[in-house]
Amino acid sequence: MTSRRTRVVMVTDTLHVGGAEQVSVDIANTLDRDTYEVHFCATRSDGPLHDKLRDDVEVEVLGRSSAWDLRKMVAFGRYLSANDIDLIHSHGRGTMRLVAACRAMGLVHARHVFHDHFGRLHLDRSAGPTLTVPLRHGVDAYLGVERRLCTWAVETVGLPADRVELVRSGVELRRFVEARPIDLHGELGLTPGTLVLLMVANFRPQKDHPTLFRAIAELPVAEQDRLHVVICGSTTTDPDYYRSCVEMLERLGISRCVTALGVRSDTPALMAGADAGVFSSKNESGPLVILEYMAAGLPFIATDTGEIAEAVRGLGAGTLVSPRDSLELSVALSDLIALRPEERAEIGRVGRRLVADRFEQHHVTNQIEGIYRRVLATHRGKVGLPTGR
Amino acid sequence: MSAEHPRQRLARRTQHEVDTTVALCTFNGARWLPELFSSIAAQTRRPGEIVVQDDGSTDGTLDVIERARAELPCPVRLEVNEQRLGSTRNFEVALARCNGRVVALADQDDVWYPRKLERLMEEFDLDPTVTMVFSDADLIDEQGRRLGRRLWDSRLIGRVLRMNPVVAGDMFARRALTTGCTMALHRRAVAASLPFPDELADPDTPMRHDRWLSLVAAGVGTVRPLPEALLAFRVHPAQETGVLSRSELARALGRASLRAMFHHPQAESAGHVTRSRQLLVAAERAEELGDFDGARRLRDVAAQHRRRLLTDASVLDRLRSVRTGMTGGLYGHDVLGWASVAADAARAVRPRRGRRHLEDEG
Repeated sequence: MTSRRTRVVMVTDTLHVGGAEQVSVDIANTLDRDTYEVHFCATRSDGPLHDKLRDDVEVEVLGRSSAWDLRKMVAFGRYLSANDIDLIHSHGRGTMRLVAACRAMGLVHARHVFHDHFGRLHLDRSAGPTLTVPLRHGVDAYLGVERRLCTWAVETVGLPADRVELVRSGVELRRFVEARPIDLHGELGLTPGTLVLLMVANFRPQKDHPTLFRAIAELPVAEQDRLHVVICGSTTTDPDYYRSCVEMLERLGISRCVTALGVRSDTPALMAGADAGVFSSKNESGPLVILEYMAAGLPFIATDTGEIAEAVRGLGAGTLVSPRDSLELSVALSDLIALRPEERAEIGRVGRRLVADRFEQHHVTNQIEGIYRRVLATHRGKVGLPTGR
Repeated sequence: MSAEHPRQRLARRTQHEVDTTVALCTFNGARWLPELFSSIAAQTRRPGEIVVQDDGSTDGTLDVIERARAELPCPVRLEVNEQRLGSTRNFEVALARCNGRVVALADQDDVWYPRKLERLMEEFDLDPTVTMVFSDADLIDEQGRRLGRRLWDSRLIGRVLRMNPVVAGDMFARRALTTGCTMALHRRAVAASLPFPDELADPDTPMRHDRWLSLVAAGVGTVRPLPEALLAFRVHPAQETGVLSRSELARALGRASLRAMFHHPQAESAGHVTRSRQLLVAAERAEELGDFDGARRLRDVAAQHRRRLLTDASVLDRLRSVRTGMTGGLYGHDVLGWASVAADAARAVRPRRGRRHLEDEG
């Protein structure tokens, strides 16, 4: 029997710029093409990340309008059958529920690997039936991007430990090494020597821009004038929050120190043009952006939250501060301003080396391919799936 | 902006930093304090310091504190107020003196269980976003005998707190859910709460320190209720935080119902005006700290207090206002919330005699 490649589909809600979406795109781009034929399905809408997918990835956008859009669920089942998909890799809990429901309805027969990026476990550690039922009965492997999620899956949801695995996010170094820097000083009319700090975070409360603003406001004016924060992220996801942020900047008298760029799909180029990265989120499961700063060779200041912050702590690639502590963040900013360019560059080199050695996407993809093999092996006898390599 | 560089402020913060401070406010508590100190000395996780703020005791409290120094496992930093401040202001002064990363509040008449600090601190160690943790307590009588009841249930808040792993600021706005001696706060919450606003000290409708601290803590991080009892809470006539027995509670609810129907409107409305003002101050603080969503919810609850004022509106409009509060979740979804809905509905339909327009008084 000639073996065909294993057909895998990444399933996300959208292809808009976001941590989970970026992870799914990175996995789709780096799966071994000799073994896997890769498809991508955005159940709701298309987005800028579509262009970041390799040309050989077939993309389907379903246009689902609600959580339980029956018509689109049927369409999803047909799409999987038409492409003879062997394995579904879903990202995000809404998507997982959709896939699990389709399986329960007999619309889908492929194996299901769920990648949980949930970043609000600190607010909600509960697991009601809308989570436990699909997770227990509709998921063959649970991948948590942080330890706390894996513990939750075993202890609260009751998944067997051998179906749960910690999969720390990685980053595709190539995207950052090859990026052509954008001249942010020129574009923003900044004086040479102004330290440009990039914060990649959509304007929503979880990202806690106000703590960053308060930290800037606490600096002496002379230090404020030596830095400029460029924020890259959606200003329309939560317009009330964005408006409040703008008002806060005015109230604190630091509007001159901050520029919001809105959504950009050229973040590697922006990072290449910045002097450092900053990230003030309240709580994260990743956050992937720390690895992106490191891959771009930027020293960073980030809040000490999430699996990646844990993994890079004390490695000399950046500074971690307590979440929501404007005083600590302010001191870290002041220290960063005081660094000479060559000192910043050296920290950036340390970060990039670490990414290459430990956090490159291929490490993550290798781990995921191992999980795929295990999941398929446990089921192969039943449905006669291809053996892959 | 402070004239001092943030580096100096951070250095000052870390210079005397300890892991945990116990903040204790005393006033004529000589009778109870030895038992409290013994229970603090027996903690499985020891505090780094105990900050005592005495409000002018005259019963030998200071002698008891001096004697306890030898027994206690950490420095005791005692200060006596020159004039009486009352418990809320006294806690404000005490909190400003604390060096702990976490500050656990203590009342002079309680008895801590040995694992109290350890359990509270576990929550802070587990999750860096946590700014406040508070627990349930067993009720004891003056002689220290167990009454067989829990603090939360005696206040009809047990169900709502057990259901919510995290308590949002607007829940504290709707109801006093916390008791100081059950609470521990991260220094971020302590710093953000100071200074206490003057509006708290209203003589008729005061907002106690524990409620203010809870509102602020929810604005700067995560507030977690722990459903386990970590201390014995003494019920006695001299205490400031009252706990009602079941029969007392039933009588109080009955009196409240009668008031809703027949009481003179002016007095009941003044309370709503004051509470509304206090919540608006809390909303302002939340806004300053960047908790925009929390500030909006606090303003909603404040607005609901103002809607509950007696106005010249028609019965229909007043019933609509009750419905707005219900659908917006502004009463809360528990027995006390439904009691408030019933009381407001009763007020809305009662005879118009004596109604006044009080909207402008706030």
